[in-house]
Amino acid sequence: MTFRTRLLLIFTLAVIASAGVVELLVQKATGREFERMDAARSDALVTQFRKEFDRRSQEVVRAVEGIGGSDNALNIAISPDPTSFYGEAGALAAAHGLDLLELVAGDGAIVSSAEWPARFGYREDWLVDHGDWMEGRAFLRRAELPDGVTLALAAVSTVTAGDRKLFVVGGQQLDQAFLSSLVLPDGMRALLYRSLEPKFAAAQMLGPGPRSAELQELVEDTLARKRERYRIVGAGADAESFHALPLAGYDGAALGALLIGSSRRGLAELESQQLRYGISVAAFGILMSVALGAWATARVTRPVERLARSATAVAAGNWDTTVEVTSGDEIGRLALAFNRMTGELMAQRERLVQAERVAAWRELARRLAHELKNPLFPLQITVENMQRARSQYPEQFDEVFREGTQTLLAELGNLKQIVARFSDFARMPAPEMQPVDFNRLISEIMKLFEAQLAQAGIAAREELDPAAPTVMADPEQMTRALRNLILNAIDAMPRGGTLTVRTRRLGLGLRLEVSDTGQGLTPEECGRLFTPYYTTKTHGTGLGLAIVQSVVSDHHGRISVAGAPGKGATFQIDLSDRTG
Amino acid sequence: MIIVALAGSAEAATRPRYGGVLRVEIRESMESVDPPDSGTGLADLMGGFAITRWEAGRRAIYAADNNAPGGRPFVDAVEVQMGRALRDQSIDLEVGKADVIELGAGESRRGAAGRKMWMSAPVRTVALVFGPRVEDARIREGLALAVDRAAILNVLLQRQGEISGALLPQWISGYAFLFQPAADLGKARTMIAAAPPGARSLSLGVEDASLRAMADRVALNARDAGLTVTTAPQANPGDVRLVEVEIASSDPARALAGIAAALGLIAPARMENAEAVYNAERAMLEGFRVVPLFHLPDVYGAGPWVRGGAGISPLGQWKFENLWLEGDRP
Repeated sequence: MTFRTRLLLIFTLAVIASAGVVELLVQKATGREFERMDAARSDALVTQFRKEFDRRSQEVVRAVEGIGGSDNALNIAISPDPTSFYGEAGALAAAHGLDLLELVAGDGAIVSSAEWPARFGYREDWLVDHGDWMEGRAFLRRAELPDGVTLALAAVSTVTAGDRKLFVVGGQQLDQAFLSSLVLPDGMRALLYRSLEPKFAAAQMLGPGPRSAELQELVEDTLARKRERYRIVGAGADAESFHALPLAGYDGAALGALLIGSSRRGLAELESQQLRYGISVAAFGILMSVALGAWATARVTRPVERLARSATAVAAGNWDTTVEVTSGDEIGRLALAFNRMTGELMAQRERLVQAERVAAWRELARRLAHELKNPLFPLQITVENMQRARSQYPEQFDEVFREGTQTLLAELGNLKQIVARFSDFARMPAPEMQPVDFNRLISEIMKLFEAQLAQAGIAAREELDPAAPTVMADPEQMTRALRNLILNAIDAMPRGGTLTVRTRRLGLGLRLEVSDTGQGLTPEECGRLFTPYYTTKTHGTGLGLAIVQSVVSDHHGRISVAGAPGKGATFQIDLSDRTG
Repeated sequence: MIIVALAGSAEAATRPRYGGVLRVEIRESMESVDPPDSGTGLADLMGGFAITRWEAGRRAIYAADNNAPGGRPFVDAVEVQMGRALRDQSIDLEVGKADVIELGAGESRRGAAGRKMWMSAPVRTVALVFGPRVEDARIREGLALAVDRAAILNVLLQRQGEISGALLPQWISGYAFLFQPAADLGKARTMIAAAPPGARSLSLGVEDASLRAMADRVALNARDAGLTVTTAPQANPGDVRLVEVEIASSDPARALAGIAAALGLIAPARMENAEAVYNAERAMLEGFRVVPLFHLPDVYGAGPWVRGGAGISPLGQWKFENLWLEGDRP
């Protein structure tokens, strides 16, 4: 990833993160506000319910007290035989607008029941047991009906005539009609759960809409704790928040729960709209940031890129590369420093080339002098012997002359050989590439050296990789290079040892290794080993490894040497299958 | 038998008057093409009156027969309005639209001032009759034990009639006391709990709307015993029926045969003595297929302007020949 891309990415991510944080904050603030409004609406509805509840309570109380204060009730209370009044409750309930009405004698026996006429004579012990009734106040109670149990808002009035007493228990059912009297804003609904069965029963949930079963947990929690509870039911646009109020009976038992549901569709739509706006703004911001970032990063990175390109050119050997200085800022100062550095490098290289050239000439002169001195000394001795024999021993001159000329010819031959080697190095031909099976080539070369290796007491090992590929190479030049390495190894092991030649697949290419167990190399020797005319031996031209390096280089390969004093040396040649 | 007459204080001093139309209202709606010529009620008029108009199910008019064996009736005619609900009849009597009405149990003890009430001996048997679907005798006996007859008699029937475990009333058979009805809620619960759950639900058919309150109470008692009883619509016979059978004769054998026929029971062809009747009735009641509950009287109300003594016989037969109308109607 380029610096510019990275910079652009950071810039973009920063914008996205900022937009995301802003969106999140806005959503949170909106959510809080919605919750506050929702709570306010629920509170208003709860207040409305309580008012309606109180109003209905007063109605019930008034009706019940009206019946309790009537002559009818007094007649029933004082009647020695109230059985003839068993049908009275129905008419009284209808006249006073009550759903439920029971006239109960002082001993708790029902005289007349409007909601269940057949229950006459049954006992309502709870009336007698309670003793002191809250006259003038309504309460919730479960009331039995022929077809089940219902929840009612009830009141009790006690009629006393001497030692006789009559309880008037009247009430109105808390049913769908009661809920319908609540004025609900849009998106809100009221549900009434009547706890008439031992376990939660969805059928006892009155009110519009689904989710009766989903509210089970909330209802059970509210009834168990007898405290107002709040819960969100559902998810997304279908979610609803519910406030649940417990409805207690005269003895404190939770007989039901009022649930006020508020749709969260508005919040969901608002959040969705905000999200859409946020995404649009973020997308626009990102596009703008990308454009601006691209422009800004281009301004910042263009001089850096020029510097990078120049550095790459310098690394590739173009030391005369310079960078255009377009500003006076840090980048401009960096460019000036770069130019100064490349100038210095150029000057140093010039000086180094000159020094190396001189050194090479000196080395060549030293080597030539050394190489030529060896044959010249026998030549001088031979000529001086021939002169001395001519003057002092004329009778032996012929013999001396014949031997002398042979010696002269031999040494001249040496001189020619030395000159030819230098000439060979000077005119290394271009390789003629063809597919080469190095495993086979190495085996053939090793056969040529079998006698020489045996004579030198060196054990030869071939570790050839069967998977080694065929590589494009000049077999003649590579043979020459490998022979030089083998000869070099033999020279390194004057007291015998082990010569190992390996091949190994290296990707699509090949690695050749020639190892010896000789005296090894110092790090300095490793560094200079491929310098022409450099040798660690007392004989030799110092051209052998230079020729090897030249061949490997002409094959676009790479040669290296590793070793330590006393631990032998290993030459590695890596050849890539560039043409294969 | 017992006839209760609440007469005005000046009645004894008045003399019978001829004329006028006696308006009578009844619950029953007779749909026959011709007016009935047997049984109690309309057929009883045939001695002193002759049918002049017959509108099946609605109205019948009988004119006084000048040549009647016992002498001409005091009123010129009797107009019978059929199919009137008891409550409507009571209102009609209050406002003077009717002279003689049938009284329901609840009405008899709370009559308006001056109203007359004629009550016969117990001439109707109220019973529960189980259908063939109720095979488990424990269910039948359990329900029989669960019914609180006393409460029904005291409240719903306002103590008119008598509790009975027999089909024939005591005044006819003389042995009804041998069939003592038992009420034992605990035992009923035990018996019903022993029955399979599927058998513990029954529908109760009520043929007469006036028995609806009694049926509701029976259902409530049954619920206390662990039986689910739902009152079926009037047209539905149900698993068990609450029926009221009129006793047409004071002869025990004929009365029992009539009840058996009405309830679909098999009665012996010949019941020559009281023991045979008793054995026949016992056989009918075994197995609790039929559970007698009450024996009820016929009760009629008459306006204070209706004079001439009781208008019905101990068996509930109409005796309108001796009635006359006096004074203004309200």
